[in-house]
Amino acid sequence: MLSFLTPARRGSGLGMAMPALLLLLAFFVIPVAALLSRSVTEPVPGLQNYETLLGSATYLRIFFNTFLVSGLVTLITALIAFPVAWALAIMPPRMAGVIFAVILLSMWTNLLARTYAWMVLLQQTGLVNRMLMATGIIDQPIQLTNNLVGVTIGMVYIMLPFMILPLYGVIKKIDPAILQAAALCGATKSQALRRVLLPLATPGIASGALMVFVMSLGYFVTPSLLGGTANMMLAELIVQQVQSLLNWGMGGAAAFILLVVTLALYALQLRLFEGKAR
Amino acid sequence: MQIKTVLAVAFAVAASAANAQQMVFTSWGGTTQDAQTEFWAAPFTEKAGTAVLQDGPTDYGKIKAMVEAGAVAWDVVDTEFDWALQAGKAGLLEPLDFNVIDKAKLDPRFVSDYAVGSFYYSFVIGFNPANFSGDAQPATMADLFDTAKFPGKRTFYKWSAPGVIEAALLADGVPADQLYPLDLDRAFKKLDTIKSSIIWWEGGAQSQQLLASGEAPIGLFWNGRLAALQADGMPVGISWQDNITAADALVVPKGAKNKEAAMAFIAEATSAKAQADFATKTGYAPINLDSPTLMEAELRATLPDAQTANQINADMAYWAEHRDEIGNRWYAWQAE
Repeated sequence: MLSFLTPARRGSGLGMAMPALLLLLAFFVIPVAALLSRSVTEPVPGLQNYETLLGSATYLRIFFNTFLVSGLVTLITALIAFPVAWALAIMPPRMAGVIFAVILLSMWTNLLARTYAWMVLLQQTGLVNRMLMATGIIDQPIQLTNNLVGVTIGMVYIMLPFMILPLYGVIKKIDPAILQAAALCGATKSQALRRVLLPLATPGIASGALMVFVMSLGYFVTPSLLGGTANMMLAELIVQQVQSLLNWGMGGAAAFILLVVTLALYALQLRLFEGKAR
Repeated sequence: MQIKTVLAVAFAVAASAANAQQMVFTSWGGTTQDAQTEFWAAPFTEKAGTAVLQDGPTDYGKIKAMVEAGAVAWDVVDTEFDWALQAGKAGLLEPLDFNVIDKAKLDPRFVSDYAVGSFYYSFVIGFNPANFSGDAQPATMADLFDTAKFPGKRTFYKWSAPGVIEAALLADGVPADQLYPLDLDRAFKKLDTIKSSIIWWEGGAQSQQLLASGEAPIGLFWNGRLAALQADGMPVGISWQDNITAADALVVPKGAKNKEAAMAFIAEATSAKAQADFATKTGYAPINLDSPTLMEAELRATLPDAQTANQINADMAYWAEHRDEIGNRWYAWQAE
């Protein structure tokens, strides 16, 4: 009776995915295609929008900023998330549940509100600067917003759950006996970490890193509020072109480049890691 | 305020079910739109029986998309005046019906075929007196650009619009009557001298936050936002020297579904009383020439239209024509 739940009838899988696929087609694929077609037709047919984007030092700098910020955020997020995920995997389940609740709760809070909170904390007269000055670590307030530091702090905070969750999933599945075996064979703690745990956790790091990097590439709110214009990222450029200048050709071209980069990274990840993990 | 909005919408929906008369007004949100709702929309609904649904914030990309798709959900929109002039030329707006809107009473600076003024404001120098307690207080545009005499971050409007370019040229010694055509090279060269000290504000609330917290002790602000800070009891220094006026516009997007109601709404919103009440609440100047007589003399003295002595009117027609060129250069310079 429940035969439709078994994987044997493969054809029905596509059928069940149909509503979602149709929805994506109508509300994602078609609008994106329309925007992309504008990038080669507005204001006149041709590739001039791409020439402008890829031929000017200013726009190349925006591409560079986008990759720099996304790369930094991914790296720092991974460094912080790894020990957290590891600790979550080995601590008693009840305690892990409480910490998960805290992590998820932060995800459910409005993004804008969280970013404003960082603005208030990090500004010249903010809590962080006042604490550092009160403890005598600095005697002048340091610049923590409107620059790369501000964007990185704000985005790492927002991206952490997206790295912790896949890492936790992978680390949890690693048999603790393997680490014991490593110790029995004479591996020091750092050897066990580098040569046993890290390689086994690599698929989790890779999928978390891809998710964080790709999400960062298209981020708007946090860079806009915590970064200065000198650190402008691609999403901000698209908003300017589409909203302020009504130049949808340029906006479409920038969006298309972003899409191509994202798909290329996804393909690369599939090639490098999916094969090994399965 | 939340409950008020919910009630207003609920009331509007109920009213629309009764007689199917409703329209949508879109503005920038915040205290400005609250005042527009209270002093323009509510009296209009009372008189004409047409419910006014509030939407926002104004988004030029959305207007263009709606007009192109032939699905225009907004009937009247509050936009920047230079954008309105440009959009009218580009075919994005309906021509206004001056049989319904009485333009004889409106300030002719803010009347065109496709747009009438919504209100006008001045960019003024605002500063936090706590940061400049010495003898000298910032007064001129030159002071605003002088980081040696008045140290600290300065905050300016982030988007490409009339105001900051003019301020830079004035600070560099260009006489007020020779600002146009704008010498962009000279303006950006002047802006370069303080670029590392600039924090950009994207909206009025952020500009207030930057000034009040001391993050940016000085800057160029919309006068109404400084008036609001003063009303809250915060000491704010204001210099009207070389204040630069710019205006918002009321427009009807091309293909709006309730065109007749839209014209009637604009007529009400630009009437002497509606403009006077709005100005009293917000500190922005009325564009109806009869409004000042309806306002208290003391209050009128704090509005931009009482500060004409050292006032510069940003040239909206010039901006409408060069908006794209200036905008492209502005954003490229910001990102450099």
